[in-house]
Amino acid sequence: MENLDYARLQMAFTLGFHIIFACIGMVMPFFMIVAHRRWLKTKNPLYLKLTKAWLKGVAIFFVTGAVSGTALSFELGMLWPEFMKHAGPIIGMPFSLEGAAFFVEAIALGFYLYGWNRLPEKFHWFTGVIIGISGVASGILVVSANGWMNAPSGFDYVDGDFINIDPVKALLNPAWFTQALHMTLAAFVATSFAVAGIHAYQVLRGNHPQLHKEAFKIAAFFGGIAAILQPLSGDLSAKDVAERQPAKLAAMEAHYETEIGAPLFIGGVVDEENKEVNHKIEIPNALSFLAFGDFDAEVKGLNEFPEDEIPPVSIVHYAFQVMVGIGTLLMLSGLLFFISLKKKSWSNNRKYWWFFMLLAPLGFVALEAGWVVTEVGRQPWIIYQVMRTSEAVTPMPGMKFSFYMYVVVYITLAFTVTWLMKRQIKALNADTK
Amino acid sequence: MLYLVLFFTLFSFLLYVLLGGADFGAGIVELFSSRENKKINRDTIYKVMGPVWEANHIWLIILIVILWIAFPVYFNIIIIYLHIPLTLVLMGITMRGVAFIFRHYDAVKDKSQYLYNAMFRISSLITPIFLGMSFSALIGGKITLTSDYSQHSFQEIFMFPWTNIFSLLVGLFYAALCAFLASTLLIGESKGEIRQMYSRKSRIFTSVLVILGFLLIAYGYITEVAFIEDFITNPVSIGAVLLSGVLLIPLWRSIKKQNRIGSRYLAGLQVILILFAALYAHYPYIIITAQKEVNLLEGVAPESVITTLGISLIIGGLIILPGLFHLMKSFKMIKVFEKDAEEAGDH
Ligand code: HDD
Ligand code: HEM
Ligand code: HEM
Repeated sequence: MENLDYARLQMAFTLGFHIIFACIGMVMPFFMIVAHRRWLKTKNPLYLKLTKAWLKGVAIFFVTGAVSGTALSFELGMLWPEFMKHAGPIIGMPFSLEGAAFFVEAIALGFYLYGWNRLPEKFHWFTGVIIGISGVASGILVVSANGWMNAPSGFDYVDGDFINIDPVKALLNPAWFTQALHMTLAAFVATSFAVAGIHAYQVLRGNHPQLHKEAFKIAAFFGGIAAILQPLSGDLSAKDVAERQPAKLAAMEAHYETEIGAPLFIGGVVDEENKEVNHKIEIPNALSFLAFGDFDAEVKGLNEFPEDEIPPVSIVHYAFQVMVGIGTLLMLSGLLFFISLKKKSWSNNRKYWWFFMLLAPLGFVALEAGWVVTEVGRQPWIIYQVMRTSEAVTPMPGMKFSFYMYVVVYITLAFTVTWLMKRQIKALNADTK
Repeated sequence: MLYLVLFFTLFSFLLYVLLGGADFGAGIVELFSSRENKKINRDTIYKVMGPVWEANHIWLIILIVILWIAFPVYFNIIIIYLHIPLTLVLMGITMRGVAFIFRHYDAVKDKSQYLYNAMFRISSLITPIFLGMSFSALIGGKITLTSDYSQHSFQEIFMFPWTNIFSLLVGLFYAALCAFLASTLLIGESKGEIRQMYSRKSRIFTSVLVILGFLLIAYGYITEVAFIEDFITNPVSIGAVLLSGVLLIPLWRSIKKQNRIGSRYLAGLQVILILFAALYAHYPYIIITAQKEVNLLEGVAPESVITTLGISLIIGGLIILPGLFHLMKSFKMIKVFEKDAEEAGDH
């Protein structure tokens, strides 16, 4: 592999790592403030315990998200100096606003973490709300920068120069809304199902079931709503991609031939050499409808594009299948949860808890798969149809070593954090016995 | 607007040097303490720095973001040629950040605390050294700008600019500065014997700092580092350095008397004077390479970008600064307003 490949792997690995912690840091505060509010209202010590346990979790995740994010803000420049030289000023606006949002978040976290019994109750609770809101705001802002890479706007590209720069237009690029909506929902889905799954496991183990059932309910409630909305927002995203990035859409669906009234492929094994897809299930005309809202619309196939503008097809196709498959499953699980609120007897069934425990990792799997679709599907462009990834990469040789170093450090970190969470839960259980 | 953006650039640089520095310094002070004092220090800095711990480090992010938005050409050089030392800085920041939170938030307090503590102290020392080394490469005149990398060896382009004695001295100087800032700050956060301990530490680090400063200037002068030569021959810079030298006397007295607020301001003033002297001698040519000096304002982003950035910074500042101030005040980190009895009782 070349330097470029290692740089890409490192970017993918570090972003894939950061996003997990960022999502948890974004969503957990919402669980926390719900539990905290119930404590203030009911004065049931169970809720206080839960809030404090979650809070410790948030602190650990927040810092891991923050340090990996700090590394990322350098990495964008270190790995892609040419990209940042031109794109930096154009997409600087979301990043500078994001900086402000982080600051607000960090200040609020300072108040919240250290404010127990020192600040007025209401104000203390409210700083928790601010943590949540500013976390989501910063997530939306970075995603808008990513949207700009998919739908470059707010400048004119003349003879290799970027002129007439309009940072506001770049911030509000045509992809920002669909992507930000889909990503925010994804963060809620992924984190909520993960947290719900962990508490479901605790219920199964018989550890203080009352506490863990409450925790489960709070998390599953957020997750259920987001999971039901997710496919709708995904459909919006798909229509967007169909319109602006036809090669990405064709790769997602592994369509080589241009067709009118194109069928939707489910599953299938991509044969990139012979340009065909085997063992697939076809739903006639469905793709044309999903992508353009018209059963007879024309969908461009990959053969339509020059050889050097086609993204890696199989990775994008499989990742897309994984995301949509999990999305459908989680939507059904969300419905199941809301029905179970009415049918109380279900929650006495161990199968119910087993089911939710097994769902725990799936949201994050879908989230990573979705990013693979977006990012790999954009290749070979770093800025869609303006700059190629290979033109942006750092001239420094030896990216291999940098990549392996990040892998070792981050994997160690991931294990440590998991181990700490286990201790956290153990302590919570011991405490409540 | 450009001047506003420049102001924010310097402002975040200064705050990172001061606040981030004091943060690193707290770890360094702990590293060089007796066992018993290590424990005391651990609890003190949790109390004092905990709430602003996150915020202190965001100044670095703000600085980087401003640089890449407003000064893309300049940023491009930093980020290509300093890839390796900056990666080391990032690793240090990562280690330090997680170690700090692990040691205070691990639900079980057992042997792993040793590991967290060791990680925290060592990365607190190493990170500012690498930061100083990165900075030194920018002013050291050893970077070779090129567009044809195959003409040069890897070491020549990516290693030599920051692996030399001058860089090491700058790195050590910044680490000592951090320790000095932290111990001076902590005088005001402690009582009785502990305060005496910090006062002693503060005096030790002041001495180390002055010695390293002299070494640095002497070495730079002998080996003809352009930056140091300019620095010495510029009357305003020399004036600032002399003033900081004179102010060492009241600073020393104030530390010795364990004056809480005075020491703090005098320490901050020292840093500002030294930074001012260093930057003034060279502004706006802040990167000095082997071939030429790079003007910060060369290749500055277009007007429209600077304007929106300036507006974002004003809005951001209006939201953030009062919040930050309130945070510090709520947790009694700003003692300016309390002319409390204790203070009076000390004299
Ligand atoms: C919990 C995670 C999750 C789930 C359940 C889904 N997605 Fe998704 N998807 C993401 C998480 C995600 C993501 C990681 O958040 C992405 C990557 C970039 C983005 O904006 O969101 C994404 C991107 C993404 C894109 C590409 C957007 C682009 O490149 O601009 C499309 C077309 C879809 N999704 C469609 C769907 C559909 C039709 C789903 C139906 C069930 C679905 N997603 C479920
Ligand atoms: C879609 C992708 C991303 C999302 C949703 C996201 C979101 C977040 C969130 C919510 C945080 C706060 C930390 C926490 O609460 O745990 C965070 C931290 C951070 N992120 Fe990201 N991020 C993304 C990608 C990036 C990228 C590409 C960069 C770099 C340019 C970046 C830079 C940072 C920085 C610097 C921090 C640390 C701020 C702090 O100290 O609080 N993020 N990110
Ligand atoms: C946090 C969620 C994200 C994940 C998991 C992710 C994933 C990836 C992956 C898999 C690649 C490699 C693609 C390839 O080379 O084949 C990549 C590349 C890249 N991503 Fe993302 N991405 C995320 C968000 C973002 C955001 C928010 C930005 C920018 C603001 C961004 C900027 C980039 C850049 C600059 C590259 C390298 C150039 C390229 O390969 O196109 N990413 N990312």
